[in-house]
Formats: sequence, C-alpha cells, structure tokens
Amino acid sequence: MELIPTDIVVVGAGPGGYAAAFYAADLGKKVILIEQDPRLGGVCMNRGCIPSKALLNAAHAIDTARESAHRGIFFGEPRIDIDKMRAWKESILQKLGSGIAGLARMRGVTVMHGKGHFEDSSTLRVETAEGQKYVRFDKAIVAVGSRPALPRAFDLGNPRVMTSTEALEIPEIPENLLIIGGGYIGMELGSVYASLGSKVTVIEALDSILAGGADPDLVRPVAAHAKKAFKEIRLKAKVLKMTSAGKQVKVVSEHEGKTVEELYDRVLVSVGRVPNGQDMGLENTKVERDEKGFIKIDERMASTDPNIYAIGDIAGGLMLAHKASKEARIAVDNLAGEGRSVNRDYVIPAVVFTDPEVAWVGLTEQEAKQKGIAVEVAKFPWGASGRALTLDRVDGLTKLILEPETHRILGVGIVGHGAAELIGEGAVAVEMGATAHDLASIVHPHPTLSETVMEAAESFFGYSTHIHTRKREGH
Amino acid sequence: MDVRLPNIGEGAEGSVVSIVVKPGDTITAGQTIIEVETGKAIAGVPSPTAGVVGEIKVTQGQKVTPGTVILTLTGAAGAPVATTSAGAPTAKPAAATPVRRAAAPIVEDDEDDLPVDDGANDGPIPGASPYVRKVARDLGIKLSRIRGSESGGRVTIEDLGRYIAKLERKVIRAGRYAEEPKGLSFEPVNVDFAQYGPVSSEPLTPLRKIISARMVENKVSLPHVTQFDEVDMTRIESLRAAYKAAYEKAGAKLSPTPFIIKALVTTLQKHPRFNSSLNEVAEALILKQYFHIGIAVDTDAGLLVPVLRDANKKTLLEIARELSQIAEKARDRKLGAADMQGGTFTISNQGAIGGGHFTPIINKPEVAILGLGKTCAKPVVTAQGAIEARPLMPITVSYDHRIIDGGSAARFTVDLVKALQEFPEADVKL
Repeated sequence: MELIPTDIVVVGAGPGGYAAAFYAADLGKKVILIEQDPRLGGVCMNRGCIPSKALLNAAHAIDTARESAHRGIFFGEPRIDIDKMRAWKESILQKLGSGIAGLARMRGVTVMHGKGHFEDSSTLRVETAEGQKYVRFDKAIVAVGSRPALPRAFDLGNPRVMTSTEALEIPEIPENLLIIGGGYIGMELGSVYASLGSKVTVIEALDSILAGGADPDLVRPVAAHAKKAFKEIRLKAKVLKMTSAGKQVKVVSEHEGKTVEELYDRVLVSVGRVPNGQDMGLENTKVERDEKGFIKIDERMASTDPNIYAIGDIAGGLMLAHKASKEARIAVDNLAGEGRSVNRDYVIPAVVFTDPEVAWVGLTEQEAKQKGIAVEVAKFPWGASGRALTLDRVDGLTKLILEPETHRILGVGIVGHGAAELIGEGAVAVEMGATAHDLASIVHPHPTLSETVMEAAESFFGYSTHIHTRKREGH
Repeated sequence: MDVRLPNIGEGAEGSVVSIVVKPGDTITAGQTIIEVETGKAIAGVPSPTAGVVGEIKVTQGQKVTPGTVILTLTGAAGAPVATTSAGAPTAKPAAATPVRRAAAPIVEDDEDDLPVDDGANDGPIPGASPYVRKVARDLGIKLSRIRGSESGGRVTIEDLGRYIAKLERKVIRAGRYAEEPKGLSFEPVNVDFAQYGPVSSEPLTPLRKIISARMVENKVSLPHVTQFDEVDMTRIESLRAAYKAAYEKAGAKLSPTPFIIKALVTTLQKHPRFNSSLNEVAEALILKQYFHIGIAVDTDAGLLVPVLRDANKKTLLEIARELSQIAEKARDRKLGAADMQGGTFTISNQGAIGGGHFTPIINKPEVAILGLGKTCAKPVVTAQGAIEARPLMPITVSYDHRIIDGGSAARFTVDLVKALQEFPEADVKL
C-alpha cells in the first residue's frame, strides 16, 4: 500500500474546504483536497446559494415585467422554457466549478475526487475512480458540510417529494406546490416557483416565517409580499401525514385545530439541514461528535483529535458559506500560520434572498431583549427614500442597534430591495466599532439605498433630512 | 439636556472633588460646574452651554469617567464652547521665531491616562477594528482595559501601542524597585493612638493621597542633593521700590517672585541640564528648549503646582501679571489639568510665610527645584571688611544627582545668585 504524504488534507471542497486548501497552500503547505463530487464548490455552489440566486434572478424578470404595467410598460405573458433555464443555471455552476479547479491547479493543490475515509488519525483512504488511494497527513481539515433533512415520515421514495437539492433542478413547474417549513430555504424557493407560476402553500410550525433570526419588524414586509405572491401561508400548522396519490401527493395537515387533507403536485421539504460525516471513518480517530452529529471543536477549530480540525456546517453553528470560509482561515492560521487565531469575536452577516431581501449583522433587537442587553434602536423607513420610490420598493426598513452610552453600532438590520448588498456596510460598521455618529458623518451617494444607513443614524440624533423625528436630548 | 463629563485632559478617570453649582442656578457657557480630581490635577469642568441647572447627577467623591452625566440643564441655548481639553496651546504669532519642538516626549507618569490593569475591574469591551482586536488577542491584552481615543471609545492601534508602552514602563519601574535593597516596603502604620490620649481623625482627601504617593516616589527614586546659598536682595529691593508704582499702574504687583523667575530662566539658559528630564526607558537626557516654570502654590486643599509657560519669552510685567492670575486660579481651584502640565523647573517660595533654608523635593520628571526662604536683614562682611546689614534671601537647589554633578550645581547656584544680585535694570523698565 503506497502512502501519499501531505502536510494537510482537506476533506470536502465547499466554500469552507476549498478556502482552507487554498489558504494553506498560500502559506506554503503541501495540500490535498478531497471531493466526492466531480465538480468542486460543495453545496453552496452546486445545490445551494449559487443556483438558487440564479433562479431567483431569472424569476425576478417575470415579476418585474408584471409590475411594469402601472409604469406604462406592458408585456405579454412570459413563455418559460425550463430546460433552457436549467441549462443557463448549469452554465454558471460549470464556470464557477472549473474556476475553482483552475485556482487549485495554480496553487499546486492536489485535487483528489472520491470519498474520504479515515483509517486512523493520520491516514485517509480515498475511494477514487482509479481505485483506493491512501493519504498520509500531518493534519486534516474536515469540511464535509451538511445536507437537507428529510424526516423519515416524509421520505416516501417519491420524486414528487423534494428537498432543496431536487427543487433547484426544476424538474417541472408544479401547479400546486406545498412547502413544508417557512425558513429561508422554503421562502426563497417558494418565491422562485411562485414567480414561475406555481400556486405555493407554506406550512410553518412556528408563528412566523423566517422565525428565530431576523427581528419581526424586518420579517413583516416579507410576509406581506409573500401573502400576495403565494397562495397561502399557514402558520402554527403541522403536516401529520403524507402519502403518494398517483401523480400527486396527499398531505394531511393540522391547522387551527382542524385536520385538512389536500392534494399537491409537488412537495418541498425544507425543515432544516443535518450534518454529513456519518460514514467517513471518524470513529477510527479521536474525533467526537455531539448527539446531532456535529464535530465537537474548540475555539481554534480543532476537534478532540489533535490532528483533525473541522470547519463549516459539520462544525455546527450557523450553516452559512461565509461562516465556513472564515473558519477555514482560523483553522489554517492555527495549523500553518503565525500566531493564534480563535473562532470568536466576529460577526457573521445573515442574508435571506426573499422578496424583499432581509439581512442583518451583529446584535438584533430581539436578541438584545432575550439577553437583557440595553440597546437603543434607530430606524429609517424606506418610504422616505427617493431611491426606494424610483424602484417602486418602499417596503423597506433600515435599523441600527446601538449601545446606549457610546452609540456604538452593535447590529444592523435591513429589509428591502438589495438588502443583501447593503448589509456589507453594516458588517464594516459593527466590526470597526463605528458609532451612529460615524455613520451620520460619512457622506453616502445620492440617490441610493445606502443613504438609508446614514439617515437611520441621523434620525437617531433627530436631524435626518428626509424624516422628521423628535430631537434627542444631550446631543 | 444632559451635561456629560468630557475628556478631561489625559485623565481618563477621576473623582468629583466639589460641586460648584446647585439646582436652579443660571449658568453661562464655560462656567465651571464641578471639579474633578484625576491622577494629575484637579480640573474644573466647564458647562458646554448656558442654561438653568436642573438635577445634579453626581455626588462628592463619586468616581466619574468621560461620558458620565453630571447634571441636567434646562433652557440650554447658545453654541457649545470648547471644553478644557489638555494641552490646548496658546496661539503663537505667525511671524515669531520658529517654534522648536522638544526632541522627544518625556516619559509621562503613567497613572493618568488608562485604568489600572486590575483584572476585577474589566469594563465593557470597547469598539475596535478586527485588526486591533487580533493584535490585542495575540498579545494577550484585554481591550477593556484600554481607553480608546476615538468616537464611542473606539480603540485604535495607536491606543494599543500607548497602552503597551505604559505597561513596559511599569515593568521597568517595578523591576528597578525590585532590585533596590530592602527597606522600601514599610510596615504600614496602623496604631490606635487613642490609647495615649484623645485624637480626632480625618480621612485623606484624594489630592492628599496623590501628593503623598508622588512625594514618596520622588524622594525615594531620585538621589537628592541640596545646595544652600543666600542672595543679597539689596538690588532687587531697590528696583522694586523704584518701579513698584509704575507696575501697579500697569495692573501688576511687583513682588520678588517675577525677578526670581526672570533670573532663574537666564541661569537655566546657561545651564541647560537643569531644564531637562531623563527618559528612563530610552536612557536619554531630554534637554528642553522651552522654559515652563512651575510655581508651588499653597492652597487650603494642599499643594498645587501651576505652570507659567514660556517664561523666557515674557517680560517682567507679563510674568508679574500672569503670576497673580495663576495664584488666584490655584486658590479658587480653577486650574485645569493643562495648567499643571509640562513644567520644566519648579520654584517653591516660602518667603511670604517665613523660615530659612529647607530642602525641597524634586518634582519628577524635572531634575531640580529651587526653594526660597524669607528675606531677612543679616550682617554681611563686605569686600572692604566692614559689617553691614543686608537683606539676605536663603535659597536652596535640590537636584537629581544622576543627571547633575556637584560642581555643576555649585556653578548653577553661583550664577543664579549673581543673576539676582546684578539684575539688569533694562529688564525692569516698562
């Protein structure tokens, strides 16, 4: 058995894994990157962030065309060729995938396609197309990610019951689509299918869509918009049973004390994601996992096995690509870099690409309340933004969560058109320790939505140009 | 509106010494509302605007930091005035001689600008960029102990550097003390004196505690030598008698002190080492090209040392005028931190009270101090061998023997005596 020696092996080539591999190579380490899929990029690039954004953009044209009538521009009914749409989406993924492969090549990172299996704490067996290969590593970084959860009760072995992975392939445009779970994945994909023409029903167990993360006042415009675009949003409701019924799926659900039986053409189950890593030989190492299957890590991203680190979804916490990439830096800094790097003391922006978009970073008002942190809140409703009016999108709100004494920006929350892009400024403000006074002092370009960040700060002090607020004392 | 404590000089924290205004008072912008004691000084805190005092939110003795609400002001109007931030330099005429800066900043006493690194006292974590946070983390420094200089208390990389430099000085100082022979740590006095007779007790004021700590440090850390001499004040007395009326007309009291300052500056210019400080970290002698003379003033609260700036550029009349202003400000406790910083040489004048020679303690980081006693008529043997009654002023010069040798000190003292005894009349003329 031939052992291929390497400094670092990275298992999984998603936004955590390839970032870790590239960074380690940039620091002069010999790196092997393992990926079981033919294309690099992981879930984010192949079955998550990127394809969903492509579809949202495509579908957006339909909505825009429809909404143009009152602006004096009329379009006929759109004709949708889903094969072509799928191919266009696929071409983007292809470009990105080969881009990542090219970057790996330029850095001298060896990419090995196959399933990785730990033999022990310094050997990884890889099942490649050319047979088994054995990698002898000093350190390993596990970045094998997560997959959509499909509770056993919903797993009928029927392709009409989909997870996000299948839904992103757009097998068809179902007339009636049921989405189980009103979280960000359900709401984003619901938007796509609704725009394409499906009648979308959402069943959510909690009392709000997008519950748990964003502040309720930021979710409200999304709920209002979805109420119009979707057929129905059923809150505090539960699916009791699903069975195949010919070319449809029979769904029994409970809502407001009543049991309903309905037929849907397709069902999207978006009730969360579960960690991978079940059959990759972690039991042959000293790696420990928690009861949900996430690898236990310390603040340097090291697992309980001194040779093995874990990053991204498999390491628990928020399941976000940019969080995985950040953790890649931390892990590699500790493995190959100078000095210590720890997994704390930074904020992770969250973005939901619904219509309108919701984004937040740092402390939310809700979280402050739960933790008993005293804050002040500054708000700027987009009705007062000229740019929002020209876009026909006044359904937005920019809010700042402020430390009461110093007026430091602890958090920023935005709902509205383009919130995902706007939140970058919020992240800079929070990370740099900016104060409301700083944001109010910085000239923002006109007419843009970015002005709402500045004006929210100004409104806090009572001198916003475009809204009139009570003057604050002491300033 | 709420009136908050501004950044008082370099002092980050302080305690309220007195509350000058009371609810209902109508105050003007710039008027002192409270006095705050920092490690360095007592500073009056001015009101940012005019108005009527509502509620007073602080109590005497309370610890305050910048941002603490002092009082509420109603009917506030008018433009805010600049607060007394430290070191606001007086504007200099544009065409004047080029202003030369000191070669390097001297090592400041490090009690003032940052909170003590007492683990129990960790405050909230201030704002800082990710880079600053990383550097602090890598160095194992808690940002909560650093007072940031930017908006909202944000800590910059410079603030971090300043804090590290401070820690370094602390370590060096601690190391130096540790090497000293035993005897520097004394058993604290804790005796029940009431067993010997009736007593009363009064707690030390914050100012007294500071004076006490500084005196011990200065006396123990510097090798003092004190030079004694006497000045024949005949000429100064006659010059005073001749010009007193003219100075009074010009609104100044012509006491001996302006003469002494003038003569001292002349002597310091001749002996630049006496106008220097030792940078103990850089191990460099910093010779100052400015002459800021500290005047020890005896106040009800205790010793304060306001500084008369650029004494070399001022006429006798200007010095005389400024001297009365300073003394008045000190007694009214209206001195700001800036008024007491940057001195290069200190005069302690007990002449008005009485007494002869005494051995003053050097006001570190200065390297020498002049002590003056009461001028009295004493018999003097003249050059001709006759005995005459002459007004003699006892003077002493305490100096830091690390920097100044005995010979230099003797020469300095002789020159100072001479500068006074041969005071040029041209400098007195108005």
